[in-house]
Order: sequence, then C-alpha cells, then structure tokens
Amino acid sequence: MTKHIITGLAAIAALAACATAPEPGLPQFAADAPAPVASVDPRVKFKDGERYLRDLSANLDMPREEICKELSRYDCMTDAFRIVLGGVEAPNLLVNEPIENAALTSPIAVDRVALHVCSNRVRMDRENPAKAVLFRAGAFGADGQAKNPDAKWLNATADAIYGSILMRSPSEREIQNLTAYYTQVSDGRAINSPDVAADWVILSCFAVASSLEAVFY
Amino acid sequence: MPKHLSRRNFLRTASLGATGAFIAARAPQDAFAQEVMIERAKNPRFLIVLSSFGGASQVDSFLSRRESEVPNAKALNAYPDDMVQTIGEFRAIDMKGPSIGAIPAAFTANQSNFARKHQNDMMVVTHTGTSVNHFVAQQRSINGNAAWHGRTLQEAVALTYGAGYAIPNVHLVNGTGFTERGTDNTLPAYVYGERAPTPNLWPLSLDGYKGIAGAPDRKLFEAARKFRNERLDPSSDFFRTFSGSQRVKHWTNIRGDALRGVEAEDLITKLMLFPDSEEMPLAAHGLQGSAIGQKVRETFPNYEFDPLEAQAALAFMLLRYGVSVTVTLGPEGSAVFKKGVKLGEGGLGEGDIVNPPISFDFSHQANRQVQAVMWNRQLSIAERLISLLKSEEFRDGQSFWDRSMIYFATEFGRTRRRPDNAMTFGSGHDLNNGSLIVSPLANGGRVLGGINVDDMLTYGFDPTTGKPEPGRHMTEPEMYSGIAHALGIDTAGSNLPDMRAMRRQA
Repeated sequence: MTKHIITGLAAIAALAACATAPEPGLPQFAADAPAPVASVDPRVKFKDGERYLRDLSANLDMPREEICKELSRYDCMTDAFRIVLGGVEAPNLLVNEPIENAALTSPIAVDRVALHVCSNRVRMDRENPAKAVLFRAGAFGADGQAKNPDAKWLNATADAIYGSILMRSPSEREIQNLTAYYTQVSDGRAINSPDVAADWVILSCFAVASSLEAVFY
Repeated sequence: MPKHLSRRNFLRTASLGATGAFIAARAPQDAFAQEVMIERAKNPRFLIVLSSFGGASQVDSFLSRRESEVPNAKALNAYPDDMVQTIGEFRAIDMKGPSIGAIPAAFTANQSNFARKHQNDMMVVTHTGTSVNHFVAQQRSINGNAAWHGRTLQEAVALTYGAGYAIPNVHLVNGTGFTERGTDNTLPAYVYGERAPTPNLWPLSLDGYKGIAGAPDRKLFEAARKFRNERLDPSSDFFRTFSGSQRVKHWTNIRGDALRGVEAEDLITKLMLFPDSEEMPLAAHGLQGSAIGQKVRETFPNYEFDPLEAQAALAFMLLRYGVSVTVTLGPEGSAVFKKGVKLGEGGLGEGDIVNPPISFDFSHQANRQVQAVMWNRQLSIAERLISLLKSEEFRDGQSFWDRSMIYFATEFGRTRRRPDNAMTFGSGHDLNNGSLIVSPLANGGRVLGGINVDDMLTYGFDPTTGKPEPGRHMTEPEMYSGIAHALGIDTAGSNLPDMRAMRRQA
C-alpha cells in the first residue's frame, strides 16, 4: 500500500470517527462505550431461513422469489438449504421439526445466502443507480474523481447497511469499524476504483447480514 | 499452541493435514485425547445404517421356513417348499407376482443372489423389541433402548473414529427414528448427525463462496468473515448481551475452525454427484461434478428419480472421500415409480413401482409381496454399495469394505398368522424379529438364534458362544452392544453386555 493511500484512509477514518487518527487498518478505541449488562439468562432463537430471507427481501427491497437462487434456478431456502437453515418439510422429507441445534453446515449456508443476497443487491444498485439501496452514487465525490472515498459517503453507506439489514442505526464504533474496513478491501488495489468500493459494500453487507445479530433474535 | 500440547504432538497433527486440523480443533487442550483421536482416525470402522422402514421381516427372508417344516403351516407364515432356498445357514425367497397386493404392478424379487454372494459376511441375529410404535422402535433399533446413556450407534461410531473427519455422521434419510438424535447430551457437537436431505443441492452447503456470481475475490471474502467474527460481532451490543447463550456459543464455535476445515476439503466438488447439465448448470457457475461421479452414477443409474439411489451414491462418496465414518440411508415413506411412468393410463408394467408406499409397512396390505419387493430393493442397494466399497483401496491393500458394516435397522417384525393357506394377506407389527448385518467385521455366515416352528417366533442365543437357546429372547441393549463391539467401539464403563458371538474374531 502506498504512503498516500495510508494517509488518505487514516484521514477518512478520522473524519468518520470524529476522533483522533487511528492506525492504518482497523481503528483503536480510546475507551469502549459502556457495555450493556450481559443477560443472566440469555435465550436467543435461530432465525430460520425463510424468516431470514423474508427480512432481507423486505429490508433490501428485493423480491423474495429472486433474492437468492443457487445455480440461478433453485431457491436457496425452499430448494437448497431448507433443513440446514432450520426449516421443515413434512410432505416429502418427513421433517416435521426444525433441527434443535445448528448443523455443521448451517453457518456455511448462512454465509452463502448472505453473499448471494449482497452480491445481487449491489449488482442491482450498479445497474440502476437511481434506485440504489446500498451502493449509492458519490463514493468519490460528486464528479467521481476524488482519490479517496468520500467520508460522508462511507458513513452514509455504513448507516444504510445497518439500517437496512438490522433495522437500527449503527453505533459510532460500528461505523468506525466498517469505514476503516475499507482499507482491507482496497489493500493492493486502486483505492478510488468503483469496483473496490462495490466490493466493500458487498462485503460489509455480507458481514452484517451474517452477523450474530442478523442470524439470531 | 496450547500449553498441554507437546511439540511432537503439534507436528504430528499438522502432518496429518485435514485430519490433524479437525482433531486439533476438536480437542485443542488435550494432548492425550488428540493422540487417541489420531490413532482411531487412521484406523476407522465405517457404519452404514440401511434403515428398513416398516418392519423388514426375517420370517419372510433369511429365517423363512418351508410349509413342510411347520406343523401348523396353513395358519402361519410358512412358504411353499419350492419357494424357500437354503444357502449356508440362511434361507432366501425369490418371488415373482402379477401385483403387489392392491397395486397392479408385476414384480420380480430376489434374495438368493445376495445370499450366495455375501453369505460369508452375512450375520442374522434374532431379537425381540419393546415397541411396535414405528418411531419409538426405530429409535430403539439404533440406541438399544437407551443402552448407553441414549447415544445412538451412529454417534458412538462418530465419537470413536470421527474426530479427524469433516462431517463424521451424516443422515441422508430424514424424518425417521433411525436418524433421531440420541439423548446423550454430553457428546461433542461433531458426532451428532448432520442432515443431508437433498443429495443434488446439499454439497452447495459445504462451501460459502464457490459458485456465487458477482462475489468479490475469495481472499477478500475470507477476510470479511474474519472481520465479522473478530471485530464486528464482538463489538455489538447484541453479542455483549447474549454471548452467554448456548446457541450463540455453538454457532461461533462451528463457524470457526470446523467451517474452514470443511471448506478446505473442497467437498462442494468432491461430493457433487450430479454432472453438469441443464438442470444442474455447474460449469456456468464455476462448479464441477465429482471426479468419481461417473463411476457412482453408473452404479446407481436411477439417482435422478429414486431418492434411495441418490442417498446411496452420496453415502459412498462420503465414505470414500474420508468425510464421514457413518452414514444413514433408507427408503422413505413415499411411493417411488420408475422414471417416465404415467399413472391413470391403464395399469403399471413390471417393475414400474420401485418403492411401495410406506415401504415395508405396506405389508399391512400384502405381507409377502411387499416384503419381497422391499427386500429386493434393500439388498440391491447393499450389493452395489459393497461393490463400490470393495473397488476402492483404503490402505495397504485393504478395501473400504474390509472396514465397513451394513446394519439393516428395522423397527419390528410382522405378525405370523395368515388365513388358511393364503398367499396374499396382511400382517401387523410384532415385537419379535431379527436383523441382518453384513460385514467382514461380523460373525459372518451365521444365524445367531433360531426360529420356533410351532409359532414361527424367533429365539435367542448364548452371547458368548452363539449357541441357540430356545426360550431366550435377545434384547435391544444386547443388539446394540454386539454391533458396537463388532465395530471395535470401546464401551468400558457402559455396563453393556459382552456379545462376543457377534464379532468376527469371536
């Protein structure tokens, strides 16, 4: 990574965080936000595949029947990963109850579905910028010529990802995490490439969509 | 490196590649446990549970009796003399018929070919169960009626040999008691059965990245996973609030090293049974079929429409590629017709029905014909699996079959009475039966126990010598123990009985 890129990204992170300049890469925090009280009886439920996909469908404005297809023809939930993702299929498979504990392949299937969905969403955004949901215009300024991604755009995109997928605003710390993550995605590549920016949106979307908070409720 | 592990141990697990990686991940703090796991992973036994839904009856197969042998033959399920063949200690029934009870489909069924070819590996053990409820009896056929803290035979095999395998225990048939999780909750997560309900698409769940159009480079994807696991999740309020949840702990555990181990094996390719086609456009998505796919498809040519053939094909691939040490497959409850058969157009041709509805349990309608068709189906699947396993070398000249066992697990037997001299009659559930086990590890060529011709009920045997003992009935825990011991499972501390008679080297 060249020196000017490091400098530029440090500046981005600083702007995003409104704090002191972090080291290249991921930010360091002067002090953690007060930790929420850990539940003494933590009970969470696995969000089964159908609920998971319906949520993403609604939140990312993607038709349910098109949001995730394996081999371009098999619905990820109904056809491919229904049982692994906690669904049931009584008529043919005689599976009347969802799996009690996540299977070894469940996290892989979730990752796969999340990557499908996020890749599709960004592809749609690039094909029709006027209706973009996550990858909106302005990554490199109004004229698209800036050398570094625009800090406001980074913040706004991070906010859109959290807002769309988890239906909440990100914390300052979470925004810092995502914006600083841009340096990893751009490592070794032209930092002001639209492809790099698109990759960052896809992977940030993927990370949030496959996070514990997205998978459990 | 954990402090309990020696440099030698670390190097050893590292030198074992994927096997070592799985073991290191599954017993990260225990050098002794790793040593044991390594030795067992290198010297495994494979258990194939070929579940026989509905009551696979020994009286209609390998313990069948001729009418001339049975005093009250006209009222009991004894067969015409010329239908019963004797092959070593076994009997066999070959049958042709114009219909399967009320199903107007001619059939031809054969048991003798299998018995002749595999009699030296065949062992029939008599037993009497404790339930005629399908689901309950299915469970007890694989957990010995909670004989060993409720763990199933598949879980016991996975625990003993599976630590170095990606997915040690795979359930290809679902929704039955044969694949119900055991009740021993103390076992590590990797030994419980993994459901693989759709053989064509399930391999896609073995890689989170391959074949996804428009995804960023794989290295970036892996970095995103790491970012999520190590940065994004730990900093969320959700995690800090609910990180104590067992579900969350389990999830974070299996999405770590275990997940990477599964993907590193490239199982999405190795286990892709289906070839590139219009219905499975693999190449267009950067995927490809398994290197041994053609061989397996030729052995199970009906894999596209017959769920059992597809299960068997994937079962073999799971064993052959060192993914699993135990697989469970079997016919499901639905009727299966030959490809292209059209219903409602004037009856069915011979062999058009591959699997009668509710499998062996359709014996309620036509005991003999259904038993014949279903035994023929099960034995055909077993024969082809054995053939494939024999064709592949495990190590040092040994084939995979030399280390395998096929257990025809079933719930119960069928009632023995029939209307006088009837050839077609329905039967009910009966606790009394026996099981077929085929394996080079079992006491092959033997019928352990016998059959009382006065009532056609089976009786037991001496657990040590195998000598028949009329009046004795073998129990579910004894069957469980005999199978476990034949597979070399250490049951010390379990209080399971010694069933020496069921082992090859008795």
